[in-house]
Amino acid sequence: MYGFEALTFNIHGGYLEAIVRGYRSGLLTAADYNNLCQCETLDDIKMHLSATEYGSYLQNEPSPLHTTTIVEKCTLKLVDEYKHMLTQATEPLSTFLEYITYGHMIDNVVLIVTGTLHERDVQELLEKCHPLGMFDSIATLAVAQNMRELYRLVLVDTPLAPYFSECITSEDLDDMNIEIMRNTLYKAYLEDFYRFCQKLGGATAEIMSDLLAFEADRRAVNITINSIGTELTRDDRRKLYSNFGLLYPYGHEELAVCEDMDQVRGAMEKYPPYQSIFSKLSYGESQILDKAFYEEEVKRLCLAFEQQFHYGVFFAYMRLGEQEIRNLMWISECVAQNQKSRVHDSVVFIF
Amino acid sequence: MQTSVDGNQSSNEIAGADQNILNLLDSMDNYLILVDSLSSSLRQGWLELASARYSMGASRVNSSLFDLKSHQASTTLQVDNGGIDTELPCFTLCKWTSSDEAKLEEDELLKNKSDSPPVQHLESEERKAEESGSPVTANNHVEKERFKSLSMFGTLVSPKLRATQSTFETTLETLVEMSNLRASLLCAYDHVQKDRKTD
Repeated sequence: MYGFEALTFNIHGGYLEAIVRGYRSGLLTAADYNNLCQCETLDDIKMHLSATEYGSYLQNEPSPLHTTTIVEKCTLKLVDEYKHMLTQATEPLSTFLEYITYGHMIDNVVLIVTGTLHERDVQELLEKCHPLGMFDSIATLAVAQNMRELYRLVLVDTPLAPYFSECITSEDLDDMNIEIMRNTLYKAYLEDFYRFCQKLGGATAEIMSDLLAFEADRRAVNITINSIGTELTRDDRRKLYSNFGLLYPYGHEELAVCEDMDQVRGAMEKYPPYQSIFSKLSYGESQILDKAFYEEEVKRLCLAFEQQFHYGVFFAYMRLGEQEIRNLMWISECVAQNQKSRVHDSVVFIF
Repeated sequence: MQTSVDGNQSSNEIAGADQNILNLLDSMDNYLILVDSLSSSLRQGWLELASARYSMGASRVNSSLFDLKSHQASTTLQVDNGGIDTELPCFTLCKWTSSDEAKLEEDELLKNKSDSPPVQHLESEERKAEESGSPVTANNHVEKERFKSLSMFGTLVSPKLRATQSTFETTLETLVEMSNLRASLLCAYDHVQKDRKTD
């Protein structure tokens, strides 16, 4: 125990902690995944999922199913559970739960802005937005020409407003600016979430610090790898890294100058938690790095449930739910494309 | 003597007919190999695309991000319908031409057509490299065009999406190769049919 949470947590958080632990027990097991991996068609997957918590969401879907339908309906289940918890939560848990959705909000903003830049229909873009990241004035994003307008017209009244101070310019929006905006917003969001958890203190601060630090480090590695061979300068790359995490600040200095995967490996292997991840890869390989990071993340998220009386369980459940949806998406794609031999390339077992 | 000459002529004809049949069978075999290769690279490409979507998220890799603004095609197919020297149509892929270069090539193509026999065009970056003597410059240009093409999904994309692009690029080359091979296959078939009629 860190701050004697056992004395007071259950007054406001006990009910919802019980609810989220109940939701956790509904996550798919290795046996479920083994059954799903043996399905021949998407209808078989629907049949197997009918015996799980997803059953009621898929039962009315007509054949032939599409992989995007399965993902959409499974996401709806997670959203419903989240909304149930949010409506029952009091402060500061309600703010904590809202923080969990800001990442999706950023993704939705970037989707609308990018799609508008490409002259896509706004309604079509809204259908592709993640439901956890929706807000009232999201459709108005389509009229903004630059970041200043984006902020002034729409985002000033959203929770993302404080994150815009670092990226407001009058330059017209283009693909590079949008990408830098995405990563700058996400950096500001992670740092703000980290500070909020630190203020909460106790077990929540301890557990969430670890989880958010891992998230920050993973983003740093992904930004580095994705920017190799692009026009992003070293300075711009460094500016996108969060100012916390195990890699901050010396790991970031090394990552900022990496020009290939082997240099990234060299920088990361100095940190024991990431040595085990990179030891699974052969030299020059980056294809299974995502899976390795997801496996490590799932391990840490599951450990969050080993303790009581903290808010980390809510964050962990939402992230595990998202991983489960990614698994279902991958299995569905392999079944639909008749490539079941590759199904274990990306499935990450949770239990 | 006459019988011997006639005998030589008919054995030459038979040899010619056999050669046409061999050409047909060779073309068919090569075509089927390419069909198999195409199927395999398409399967790989689609799975890599799913893998990129898994890695980057469905909101970053989806069809609603395709660019609907009018722009020049970065890759074009030139069809040469055959001329005096050859009856076969010829398909040539010009990959990763920028919008300025595409216009330049179109102008050159029109100019060449108005002159005498049509000439096969090399891929534009190879021709530029030969003229400038700089393959590095050509490669940089190709990489820039690839990057520009993928930028509709964002400028910092996963290596999996780049691998997908590369796989579908190979698929496109295979398709063009198949088109050329199909043209020669049909030509060989015509020759065999002609031989059968004369028999």
